[in-house]
Amino acid sequence: MSAVLKKNRKPSQSRSARPHRPPDVRQPPPEPMRNPGLSRKDLLEVHRLLRLNRMVEERLSALYRQGQIHGGLYSSLGQEGISVGTAYALASDDLLAPMIRNIGSLLVRGVSPRTLFLQFLARHDAPTGGKDGTLHFDDLEKSIIGPISVLGTLIPVMTGAALAARMRGESRVALTYIGDGGASTGDFHEGLNLAAVLGLPLILVVENNGYAYSTPTNRQFAVDSLAERGPAYGIAAESVDGTDVLAVYEATRRAAERGRRGEGPTLLECRAFRRRGHAEHDDMWYVPKDLVKVWETRDPLDRFESFLVDEGHATEKELRGVREAIGPDLDEAARAALDSPYPPPEETLRDVYFEAE
Amino acid sequence: MLTRDKRATARAAARPAGRPGGEAVLVPGDADLLKMLHSMKLTRALEYRIERKLYRQGKIVGGVYVGRGQEAISVGAAMHIRRGGGEDHDDIVSPSHRDMAVFLMQGMPPERILAQYMGRKTGPTRGRDGNMHMGDLRNRPIAFVSHLGDSIPVAAGCALTFRMRGTDQVSFCFFGEGATSRGDWHEGVNFAAVMKLPVVFICNNNQYAYSTHVSRQMRVERVSDRAGGYGIPGETADGNDALAVYDVVGRSTERARRGEGPALLEFVTFRMTGHSAHDDAGYVPKGLFEEWERKDPIRLLEEHLKRRGLVDVTALKEMETRIESELDDAVAWAEGQPYPDPEECLTGVYHE
Repeated sequence: MSAVLKKNRKPSQSRSARPHRPPDVRQPPPEPMRNPGLSRKDLLEVHRLLRLNRMVEERLSALYRQGQIHGGLYSSLGQEGISVGTAYALASDDLLAPMIRNIGSLLVRGVSPRTLFLQFLARHDAPTGGKDGTLHFDDLEKSIIGPISVLGTLIPVMTGAALAARMRGESRVALTYIGDGGASTGDFHEGLNLAAVLGLPLILVVENNGYAYSTPTNRQFAVDSLAERGPAYGIAAESVDGTDVLAVYEATRRAAERGRRGEGPTLLECRAFRRRGHAEHDDMWYVPKDLVKVWETRDPLDRFESFLVDEGHATEKELRGVREAIGPDLDEAARAALDSPYPPPEETLRDVYFEAE
Repeated sequence: MLTRDKRATARAAARPAGRPGGEAVLVPGDADLLKMLHSMKLTRALEYRIERKLYRQGKIVGGVYVGRGQEAISVGAAMHIRRGGGEDHDDIVSPSHRDMAVFLMQGMPPERILAQYMGRKTGPTRGRDGNMHMGDLRNRPIAFVSHLGDSIPVAAGCALTFRMRGTDQVSFCFFGEGATSRGDWHEGVNFAAVMKLPVVFICNNNQYAYSTHVSRQMRVERVSDRAGGYGIPGETADGNDALAVYDVVGRSTERARRGEGPALLEFVTFRMTGHSAHDDAGYVPKGLFEEWERKDPIRLLEEHLKRRGLVDVTALKEMETRIESELDDAVAWAEGQPYPDPEECLTGVYHE
């Protein structure tokens, strides 16, 4: 019997049952964008932040190629709508923990481009004093909790932050991000399950960008959408188009309201695509070119600008003006960062370990 | 908290206490029914000796975790483990600490299990462990990993081996509802789901993880609700009904053998003991023990066999007497076994 079964079940056949193929290029056309009730002022501010996010990263990419960046650089090209849309939907004292592709969330909270440049250039005046060259810093005054490099680990931390807020009787919600890859980590499960059991106001944004480094999503999970994990934890879950900043904003608002009403956590999947390599050093040879092309036609910034013009909120000239105004600001911020000193060697160990008073 | 506790209890109580021969697709034959009853009785009697006698006599060197009241799950499931056909044929099983029956059914003799608990040289770990952390790769129970949840990726890895070798073997993986909150559980189940590996995930939901009630363990009604998050089938059945377990596990085993991937099975039962022999379970409402006592899985199966005319009072008595006499011999043998020599302390601890 065994021999017959063996013949029928060659390993190669078993593999072809679930072939290693990249995500589907045939994306359904995006739904038209819809204003969830934001004022013109807000809409234009969201646009400015998206543009600022894009331009800050373009500048960082240039600095990286000049050899000025000491750490890794992880682009959020095509995912800016997720960072900006989620962070913009929160109250300013809600607890926000960005990950490496969430420069936009920091910009929404008022972290200046100059601070970001200082950090990436590892200068003395940077938030980590030159100890780190990427986004691993916090700003508790702005209710920003710093990312943890180990993916997934931030989720139980933010569950804890949400628990602390509730124990103090505050109405703050806690929001953090994870990628499609990080959703397979044990910490994701433990953190989200605890938040579910305790009914904590946690918003877990899953940025499903198609690839975890070189692993496509069909090798990462066997469900169609990570929002299907919500019912597995008994919590609310939504899946939205991550290239639609307004849809992201609206879904985050709903999640925050649920959290404040005591209805527990929300798992919010935002679908987008990582149009660059995992990091700046990665040429992503493993991603089919036509897949990138498809997603280029769904650029969150282009889509939002078309929406603003079509709906009469702004003219193309006004939008161009935003870009022209940001450019010189970034020139100045980058210049200031480049001119500022590196940390003195004798400070190497300062702030690395806890120092007793 | 209390309300949720009560709700969960009401839910469990509403479940039919066994539906012998009901709508089952897979029904064991007469010989298998007798084997199941015998395995359940042997398990209970052996655990009784260990927990109620030897442990209290100070003869057990480690902790004692028994599966009293949960025997139907281990036995009903283990009936489907394929054995006796060699490396490319035999299934593999990763039992939990409440699955003594699995060890017995895989061919580990009671006297060797007793030697293990008494820390003797002839126990499976040669006196290195005095508890359930024993394996036997020839008979294919993987040694139980003490850290709950850790055995799930191990079981998935075994299934990956089967896949890579192109065989139709299946990996059986047992755990409790508490383990489903662990990160390793998530990683292992997700991996098995993505790779469509032949694993049968068997959860004995006995409603308490040490002192944590299941309502404080998860926000979903059933452990099997978690299956949807991995894109695999999930099913819940009465864990005190050996026939229901036999049916549900059997169907998932066939599915896994056909290469259709893993399933998450939940069997609702009750832990009729403390977490371990030292724990008086003072945190469990007393009424629950009485309620679940009435649904004792061994008595349910006995009644079914009586109705089918397979056993009568005399035959049952005979079976029990035989088991007790076998265990008398096993205990005597184990007690006569030597402790390991001190100089052997490190042998077999590290890879040599």
